[in-house]
Amino acid sequence: MSTRKRHSIFEIMDEYFENLEEWAERFRESLIERPSWNCRACTMEPLRDIMVTHDKVIVTVDLPYSEENTVQVKPVSKDTIEISAKMKRKVSFDDFGITHYKGEFQKLHCQTRIPVPVHMDRMEVRFKKGILEIHLTRKHEHEISIE
Amino acid sequence: MDGDIKIVERKKAPEGAVMLFGFPDVGLVGVIAASHIISELKNLDEVAYMDSKLLPPLIVLHEGLPHSPIRIFGNHEILLAVSETALPEDVIYPVMHALIDWGKKKNVKMMISLSGIPVQDRQDLEELKAFAAASSPETLKLVQERGIEILKEGYMVGPQAVMLQYCATLGVPALTLLVQCFFNYPDPEAAAKILEQLANVVGIKVDVSKLLEKGEEIRLKGRDIMKRTQQELTKMKKTQEYDIPLYVS
Repeated sequence: MSTRKRHSIFEIMDEYFENLEEWAERFRESLIERPSWNCRACTMEPLRDIMVTHDKVIVTVDLPYSEENTVQVKPVSKDTIEISAKMKRKVSFDDFGITHYKGEFQKLHCQTRIPVPVHMDRMEVRFKKGILEIHLTRKHEHEISIE
Repeated sequence: MDGDIKIVERKKAPEGAVMLFGFPDVGLVGVIAASHIISELKNLDEVAYMDSKLLPPLIVLHEGLPHSPIRIFGNHEILLAVSETALPEDVIYPVMHALIDWGKKKNVKMMISLSGIPVQDRQDLEELKAFAAASSPETLKLVQERGIEILKEGYMVGPQAVMLQYCATLGVPALTLLVQCFFNYPDPEAAAKILEQLANVVGIKVDVSKLLEKGEEIRLKGRDIMKRTQQELTKMKKTQEYDIPLYVS
Protein backbone atom coordinates (compact mmCIF):
# COMPACT_ATOMS: atom_id res chain seq x y z
CA MET A 1 0.00 0.00 0.00
CA SER A 2 1.29 3.44 -0.87
CA THR A 3 2.33 5.54 2.10
CA ARG A 4 3.10 8.62 0.00
CA LYS A 5 1.63 11.77 1.44
CA ARG A 6 -0.60 13.55 -1.02
CA HIS A 7 -0.25 17.31 -1.03
CA SER A 8 -2.79 18.53 -3.52
CA ILE A 9 -5.58 17.55 -5.85
CA PHE A 10 -3.10 17.93 -8.73
CA GLU A 11 -0.78 15.32 -7.23
CA ILE A 12 -3.70 12.96 -6.74
CA MET A 13 -4.73 13.51 -10.36
CA ASP A 14 -1.15 13.00 -11.59
CA GLU A 15 -0.93 9.75 -9.67
CA TYR A 16 -4.29 8.65 -11.02
CA PHE A 17 -3.23 9.30 -14.62
CA GLU A 18 0.15 7.60 -14.06
CA ASN A 19 -1.65 4.50 -12.77
CA LEU A 20 -4.08 4.65 -15.66
CA GLU A 21 -1.21 4.85 -18.17
CA GLU A 22 0.55 1.91 -16.52
CA TRP A 23 -2.64 -0.12 -16.64
CA ALA A 24 -3.21 0.79 -20.30
CA GLU A 25 0.38 -0.24 -21.12
CA ARG A 26 -0.03 -3.59 -19.36
CA PHE A 27 -3.35 -4.15 -21.12
CA ARG A 28 -1.83 -3.28 -24.51
CA GLU A 29 1.09 -5.62 -23.92
CA SER A 30 -1.23 -8.43 -22.83
CA LEU A 31 -2.99 -8.10 -26.19
CA ILE A 32 0.27 -8.10 -28.11
CA GLU A 33 1.95 -10.91 -26.15
CA ARG A 34 0.78 -13.86 -28.15
CA PRO A 35 2.33 -15.79 -31.01
CA SER A 36 2.10 -14.29 -34.46
CA TRP A 37 1.01 -17.68 -35.80
CA ASN A 38 -1.82 -20.15 -35.29
CA CYS A 39 -1.01 -23.80 -36.00
CA ARG A 40 -4.62 -24.97 -35.77
CA ALA A 41 -5.83 -22.49 -38.36
CA CYS A 42 -2.56 -22.76 -40.35
CA THR A 43 -2.32 -18.97 -40.40
CA MET A 44 0.28 -16.32 -39.72
CA GLU A 45 -0.62 -12.86 -38.53
CA PRO A 46 0.58 -10.04 -40.77
CA LEU A 47 1.90 -6.69 -39.54
CA ARG A 48 -0.52 -3.82 -39.98
CA ASP A 49 -0.90 -0.14 -39.38
CA ILE A 50 -3.80 2.29 -39.13
CA MET A 51 -3.80 5.96 -39.97
CA VAL A 52 -6.78 8.24 -39.30
CA THR A 53 -7.07 11.41 -41.37
CA HIS A 54 -9.85 14.04 -41.34
CA ASP A 55 -11.95 12.15 -43.87
CA LYS A 56 -10.49 8.64 -44.11
CA VAL A 57 -9.08 5.71 -42.21
CA ILE A 58 -6.21 4.08 -44.07
CA VAL A 59 -5.29 0.55 -43.02
CA THR A 60 -2.13 -0.96 -44.47
CA VAL A 61 -1.20 -4.62 -44.11
CA ASP A 62 2.13 -6.20 -45.02
CA LEU A 63 1.29 -9.38 -46.94
CA PRO A 64 4.59 -10.86 -48.09
CA TYR A 65 4.49 -14.17 -49.95
CA SER A 66 0.82 -13.74 -50.74
CA GLU A 67 -0.97 -14.20 -54.04
CA GLU A 68 -2.68 -10.98 -55.06
CA ASN A 69 -5.81 -12.66 -56.45
CA THR A 70 -6.47 -14.39 -53.12
CA VAL A 71 -6.42 -11.23 -50.98
CA GLN A 72 -9.77 -10.74 -49.24
CA VAL A 73 -11.02 -7.87 -47.14
CA LYS A 74 -14.41 -8.12 -45.46
CA PRO A 75 -16.21 -6.24 -42.72
CA VAL A 76 -17.15 -8.56 -39.86
CA SER A 77 -18.88 -5.92 -37.75
CA LYS A 78 -19.47 -2.18 -37.90
CA ASP A 79 -15.99 -1.50 -36.59
CA THR A 80 -13.90 -4.54 -37.55
CA ILE A 81 -12.49 -5.82 -40.82
CA GLU A 82 -10.98 -9.19 -41.58
CA ILE A 83 -8.08 -9.57 -43.97
CA SER A 84 -6.79 -12.80 -45.41
CA ALA A 85 -4.51 -13.90 -48.23
CA LYS A 86 -3.27 -17.26 -49.40
CA MET A 87 0.49 -17.67 -49.45
CA LYS A 88 2.37 -18.61 -52.64
CA ARG A 89 3.50 -21.82 -50.97
CA LYS A 90 3.10 -23.51 -47.63
CA VAL A 91 5.60 -22.29 -45.06
CA SER A 92 6.62 -24.43 -42.11
CA PHE A 93 8.61 -23.84 -38.93
CA ASP A 94 11.40 -25.82 -40.59
CA ASP A 95 11.73 -23.02 -43.15
CA PHE A 96 12.67 -20.70 -40.28
CA GLY A 97 15.13 -23.23 -38.83
CA ILE A 98 12.79 -24.00 -35.93
CA THR A 99 12.52 -27.68 -35.05
CA HIS A 100 10.85 -27.59 -31.61
CA TYR A 101 7.46 -26.59 -33.02
CA LYS A 102 5.63 -28.36 -35.79
CA GLY A 103 3.19 -26.72 -38.14
CA GLU A 104 2.54 -25.45 -41.62
CA PHE A 105 1.05 -22.16 -42.67
CA GLN A 106 -0.77 -21.38 -45.86
CA LYS A 107 -2.56 -18.14 -45.11
CA LEU A 108 -1.95 -14.70 -43.68
CA HIS A 109 -4.92 -13.66 -41.59
CA CYS A 110 -5.90 -10.92 -39.16
CA GLN A 111 -8.78 -8.89 -37.85
CA THR A 112 -8.42 -5.18 -37.29
CA ARG A 113 -10.60 -2.85 -35.29
CA ILE A 114 -11.21 0.54 -36.86
CA PRO A 115 -10.90 3.20 -34.15
CA VAL A 116 -13.49 5.68 -35.51
CA PRO A 117 -16.88 5.19 -37.25
CA VAL A 118 -16.54 4.49 -41.00
CA HIS A 119 -18.74 3.60 -43.96
CA MET A 120 -17.87 -0.05 -44.44
CA ASP A 121 -19.67 -0.02 -47.78
CA ARG A 122 -17.34 2.67 -49.14
CA MET A 123 -14.13 0.73 -49.09
CA GLU A 124 -11.32 1.17 -51.60
CA VAL A 125 -8.58 -1.41 -51.76
CA ARG A 126 -5.25 -1.53 -53.58
CA PHE A 127 -2.30 -3.89 -53.46
CA LYS A 128 1.22 -2.86 -54.33
CA LYS A 129 4.58 -4.49 -53.58
CA GLY A 130 2.89 -6.88 -51.17
CA ILE A 131 1.32 -4.04 -49.19
CA LEU A 132 -2.46 -4.00 -48.99
CA GLU A 133 -3.96 -0.56 -48.57
CA ILE A 134 -7.58 -0.18 -47.47
CA HIS A 135 -9.22 3.26 -47.58
CA LEU A 136 -12.38 3.67 -45.52
CA THR A 137 -14.46 6.85 -45.57
CA ARG A 138 -15.12 8.25 -42.12
CA LYS A 139 -18.62 8.73 -40.79
CA HIS A 140 -18.96 12.09 -39.12
CA GLU A 141 -21.94 11.42 -36.90
CA HIS A 142 -21.65 14.38 -34.57
CA GLU A 143 -20.71 17.53 -36.39
CA ILE A 144 -20.83 20.73 -34.39
CA SER A 145 -21.70 23.80 -36.35
CA ILE A 146 -20.07 27.08 -35.39
CA GLU A 147 -22.46 29.97 -35.32
CA MET B 1 25.76 2.44 -15.60
CA ASP B 2 28.16 1.87 -18.53
CA GLY B 3 30.33 -0.14 -16.11
CA ASP B 4 27.51 -2.70 -15.92
CA ILE B 5 28.27 -3.73 -19.49
CA LYS B 6 31.10 -6.03 -20.51
CA ILE B 7 32.32 -6.62 -24.05
CA VAL B 8 33.77 -10.13 -23.95
CA GLU B 9 36.33 -10.80 -26.67
CA ARG B 10 36.38 -14.26 -28.21
CA LYS B 11 39.03 -13.54 -30.82
CA LYS B 12 41.56 -10.83 -31.46
CA ALA B 13 39.71 -7.92 -33.02
CA PRO B 14 41.37 -6.06 -35.90
CA GLU B 15 42.85 -2.59 -35.35
CA GLY B 16 41.99 0.33 -37.60
CA ALA B 17 38.83 -1.22 -39.06
CA VAL B 18 35.56 0.47 -40.01
CA MET B 19 32.95 -0.31 -37.35
CA LEU B 20 29.37 -0.81 -38.54
CA PHE B 21 26.19 -0.86 -36.46
CA GLY B 22 23.02 -2.72 -37.43
CA PHE B 23 20.37 -2.33 -34.76
CA PRO B 24 16.60 -2.84 -34.87
CA ASP B 25 14.95 0.37 -35.95
CA VAL B 26 12.40 1.53 -38.54
CA GLY B 27 12.02 -1.01 -41.35
CA LEU B 28 14.69 -3.15 -39.65
CA VAL B 29 17.03 -1.69 -42.26
CA GLY B 30 20.19 -1.98 -40.15
CA VAL B 31 19.51 -5.51 -38.91
CA ILE B 32 18.61 -6.87 -42.34
CA ALA B 33 21.69 -5.22 -43.87
CA ALA B 34 23.95 -6.53 -41.07
CA SER B 35 22.53 -10.02 -41.34
CA HIS B 36 23.13 -9.98 -45.10
CA ILE B 37 26.71 -8.76 -44.66
CA ILE B 38 27.36 -11.70 -42.29
CA SER B 39 25.92 -14.25 -44.71
CA GLU B 40 27.68 -12.82 -47.78
CA LEU B 41 31.13 -12.11 -46.37
CA LYS B 42 32.16 -15.61 -45.38
CA ASN B 43 35.26 -14.45 -43.52
CA LEU B 44 33.39 -12.59 -40.79
CA ASP B 45 33.85 -14.25 -37.41
CA GLU B 46 32.28 -13.46 -34.08
CA VAL B 47 35.03 -11.54 -32.31
CA ALA B 48 33.14 -10.30 -29.25
CA TYR B 49 29.79 -10.23 -27.53
CA MET B 50 28.03 -8.07 -25.00
CA ASP B 51 27.32 -9.32 -21.50
CA SER B 52 25.16 -7.15 -19.30
CA LYS B 53 22.49 -7.39 -16.65
CA LEU B 54 20.96 -4.27 -18.21
CA LEU B 55 19.82 -6.35 -21.18
CA PRO B 56 16.60 -8.39 -21.03
CA PRO B 57 17.10 -11.95 -19.67
CA LEU B 58 17.36 -13.37 -23.16
CA ILE B 59 19.79 -15.45 -25.18
CA VAL B 60 19.70 -16.41 -28.83
CA LEU B 61 20.14 -20.10 -29.55
CA HIS B 62 22.10 -21.09 -32.62
CA GLU B 63 22.63 -24.83 -33.14
CA GLY B 64 21.58 -25.39 -29.54
CA LEU B 65 24.22 -23.08 -28.09
CA PRO B 66 23.61 -19.79 -26.29
CA HIS B 67 24.66 -16.46 -27.76
CA SER B 68 24.30 -12.91 -26.59
CA PRO B 69 21.73 -10.96 -28.62
CA ILE B 70 24.38 -8.28 -29.17
CA ARG B 71 27.49 -9.50 -30.94
CA ILE B 72 30.39 -8.06 -32.87
CA PHE B 73 31.60 -9.78 -36.01
CA GLY B 74 34.82 -8.89 -37.76
CA ASN B 75 37.43 -9.53 -40.41
CA HIS B 76 40.61 -7.61 -41.22
CA GLU B 77 38.74 -4.51 -42.45
CA ILE B 78 35.37 -4.31 -40.70
CA LEU B 79 33.80 -4.75 -37.29
CA LEU B 80 30.05 -5.21 -37.32
CA ALA B 81 27.94 -4.78 -34.18
CA VAL B 82 24.51 -6.29 -34.53
CA SER B 83 21.57 -6.88 -32.21
CA GLU B 84 19.15 -9.75 -32.73
CA THR B 85 16.62 -8.27 -30.35
CA ALA B 86 14.92 -4.91 -30.06
CA LEU B 87 16.92 -2.75 -27.66
CA PRO B 88 14.90 -1.54 -24.69
CA GLU B 89 14.73 2.23 -24.87
CA ASP B 90 16.35 2.70 -21.44
CA VAL B 91 19.55 0.79 -22.31
CA ILE B 92 20.35 2.47 -25.61
CA TYR B 93 22.73 5.01 -24.03
CA PRO B 94 24.85 2.55 -22.01
CA VAL B 95 24.87 -0.07 -24.79
CA MET B 96 25.99 2.39 -27.45
CA HIS B 97 28.56 4.05 -25.17
CA ALA B 98 30.06 0.64 -24.29
CA LEU B 99 30.31 -0.39 -27.95
CA ILE B 100 31.82 2.94 -29.00
CA ASP B 101 34.34 2.93 -26.12
CA TRP B 102 35.35 -0.61 -27.13
CA GLY B 103 35.65 0.39 -30.80
CA LYS B 104 37.75 3.43 -29.87
CA LYS B 105 40.17 1.13 -28.02
CA LYS B 106 40.49 -0.83 -31.28
CA ASN B 107 41.37 2.43 -33.05
CA VAL B 108 38.51 2.12 -35.53
CA LYS B 109 38.94 4.63 -38.32
CA MET B 110 35.23 5.32 -38.70
CA MET B 111 31.92 4.26 -37.16
CA ILE B 112 28.93 3.89 -39.46
CA SER B 113 25.37 3.26 -38.36
CA LEU B 114 23.03 1.70 -40.93
CA SER B 115 19.46 2.81 -40.56
CA GLY B 116 16.28 4.03 -42.21
CA ILE B 117 14.24 7.16 -42.56
CA PRO B 118 10.51 6.39 -42.65
CA VAL B 119 8.36 7.82 -45.40
CA GLN B 120 4.62 7.72 -45.96
CA ASP B 121 3.46 5.88 -49.09
CA ARG B 122 6.77 4.01 -49.21
CA GLN B 123 5.17 1.38 -51.46
CA ASP B 124 4.81 4.01 -54.19
CA LEU B 125 8.53 4.81 -54.26
CA GLU B 126 10.48 3.13 -57.02
CA GLU B 127 13.84 4.72 -56.22
CA LEU B 128 14.83 5.00 -52.57
CA LYS B 129 16.82 8.04 -51.56
CA ALA B 130 19.75 7.91 -49.15
CA PHE B 131 20.67 10.54 -46.60
CA ALA B 132 23.52 10.96 -44.15
CA ALA B 133 24.48 12.83 -41.02
CA ALA B 134 27.96 12.91 -39.53
CA SER B 135 29.85 13.61 -36.34
CA SER B 136 32.14 16.24 -37.87
CA PRO B 137 32.30 18.63 -40.86
CA GLU B 138 35.16 16.56 -42.37
CA THR B 139 33.10 13.34 -42.33
CA LEU B 140 30.11 15.22 -43.68
CA LYS B 141 32.25 16.47 -46.57
CA LEU B 142 33.27 12.90 -47.35
CA VAL B 143 29.67 11.76 -47.87
CA GLN B 144 28.76 14.90 -49.79
CA GLU B 145 31.60 14.13 -52.20
CA ARG B 146 30.04 10.70 -52.71
CA GLY B 147 26.78 12.32 -53.78
CA ILE B 148 24.75 11.49 -50.68
CA GLU B 149 22.27 14.09 -49.52
CA ILE B 150 22.83 15.52 -46.06
CA LEU B 151 20.09 15.33 -43.49
CA LYS B 152 20.38 19.02 -42.74
CA GLU B 153 17.76 19.81 -40.13
CA GLY B 154 15.50 17.73 -37.93
CA TYR B 155 15.50 15.25 -35.09
CA MET B 156 17.14 11.85 -34.95
CA VAL B 157 15.99 9.29 -32.38
CA GLY B 158 17.53 5.94 -31.44
CA PRO B 159 20.94 4.21 -31.29
CA GLN B 160 22.26 6.13 -34.32
CA ALA B 161 21.49 9.44 -32.59
CA VAL B 162 23.44 8.39 -29.49
CA MET B 163 26.29 7.15 -31.68
CA LEU B 164 26.67 10.42 -33.59
CA GLN B 165 26.59 12.55 -30.45
CA TYR B 166 29.01 10.39 -28.47
CA CYS B 167 31.43 10.05 -31.39
CA ALA B 168 31.34 13.83 -31.87
CA THR B 169 32.26 14.22 -28.19
CA LEU B 170 35.09 11.68 -28.44
CA GLY B 171 36.36 13.01 -31.76
CA VAL B 172 35.79 9.70 -33.55
CA PRO B 173 34.70 10.07 -37.21
CA ALA B 174 31.14 8.72 -37.44
CA LEU B 175 28.40 8.57 -39.96
CA THR B 176 24.77 7.61 -39.97
CA LEU B 177 23.51 6.37 -43.32
CA LEU B 178 19.74 6.41 -43.72
CA VAL B 179 17.59 5.15 -46.57
CA GLN B 180 13.90 5.85 -47.13
CA CYS B 181 11.90 2.91 -45.76
CA PHE B 182 8.68 1.67 -44.18
CA PHE B 183 8.20 2.66 -40.55
CA ASN B 184 6.50 -0.51 -39.34
CA TYR B 185 7.36 -3.16 -41.91
CA PRO B 186 10.67 -4.95 -42.56
CA ASP B 187 12.20 -3.37 -45.65
CA PRO B 188 14.81 -5.56 -47.42
CA GLU B 189 14.85 -3.22 -50.46
CA ALA B 190 15.93 -0.35 -48.22
CA ALA B 191 18.58 -2.63 -46.66
CA ALA B 192 19.92 -3.40 -50.16
CA LYS B 193 20.05 0.29 -50.94
CA ILE B 194 21.98 1.08 -47.78
CA LEU B 195 24.54 -1.59 -48.64
CA GLU B 196 25.02 0.05 -52.04
CA GLN B 197 25.66 3.34 -50.25
CA LEU B 198 28.06 1.66 -47.85
CA ALA B 199 30.09 0.49 -50.85
CA ASN B 200 29.91 4.01 -52.24
CA VAL B 201 31.25 5.60 -49.04
CA VAL B 202 33.87 3.17 -47.72
CA GLY B 203 34.25 0.63 -50.51
CA ILE B 204 32.84 -2.35 -48.57
CA LYS B 205 31.14 -4.22 -51.39
CA VAL B 206 28.41 -6.75 -50.70
CA ASP B 207 26.35 -8.42 -53.43
CA VAL B 208 22.68 -7.63 -52.73
CA SER B 209 21.06 -9.86 -55.36
CA LYS B 210 20.22 -12.65 -52.87
CA LEU B 211 18.86 -10.08 -50.42
CA LEU B 212 16.45 -8.79 -53.06
CA GLU B 213 15.54 -12.31 -54.16
CA LYS B 214 14.71 -13.34 -50.60
CA GLY B 215 12.90 -10.08 -49.83
CA GLU B 216 9.45 -11.60 -49.22
CA GLU B 217 10.86 -14.38 -47.05
CA ILE B 218 12.74 -11.80 -44.94
CA ARG B 219 9.55 -9.76 -44.52
CA LEU B 220 7.73 -12.85 -43.31
CA LYS B 221 10.53 -13.85 -40.93
CA GLY B 222 11.01 -10.31 -39.65
CA ARG B 223 7.43 -9.81 -38.40
CA ASP B 224 8.11 -10.67 -34.76
CA ILE B 225 11.26 -8.62 -34.28
CA MET B 226 9.56 -5.77 -36.13
CA LYS B 227 6.62 -5.92 -33.71
CA ARG B 228 8.95 -5.83 -30.69
CA THR B 229 10.91 -3.00 -32.27
CA GLN B 230 7.71 -1.01 -32.82
CA GLN B 231 6.97 -1.21 -29.10
CA GLU B 232 10.40 0.20 -28.26
CA LEU B 233 10.16 2.84 -30.98
CA THR B 234 6.92 4.03 -29.39
CA LYS B 235 8.59 4.25 -25.99
CA MET B 236 11.53 6.25 -27.34
CA LYS B 237 9.11 8.56 -29.22
CA LYS B 238 10.55 7.75 -32.62
CA THR B 239 7.80 9.74 -34.34
CA GLN B 240 9.58 12.84 -33.06
CA GLU B 241 11.67 12.46 -36.22
CA TYR B 242 8.62 13.76 -38.10
CA ASP B 243 8.55 16.93 -35.98
CA ILE B 244 9.50 20.31 -37.34
CA PRO B 245 12.13 21.73 -35.01
CA LEU B 246 12.14 25.26 -33.69
CA TYR B 247 15.78 26.12 -33.91
CA VAL B 248 17.51 28.46 -31.55
CA SER B 249 20.62 29.54 -33.43
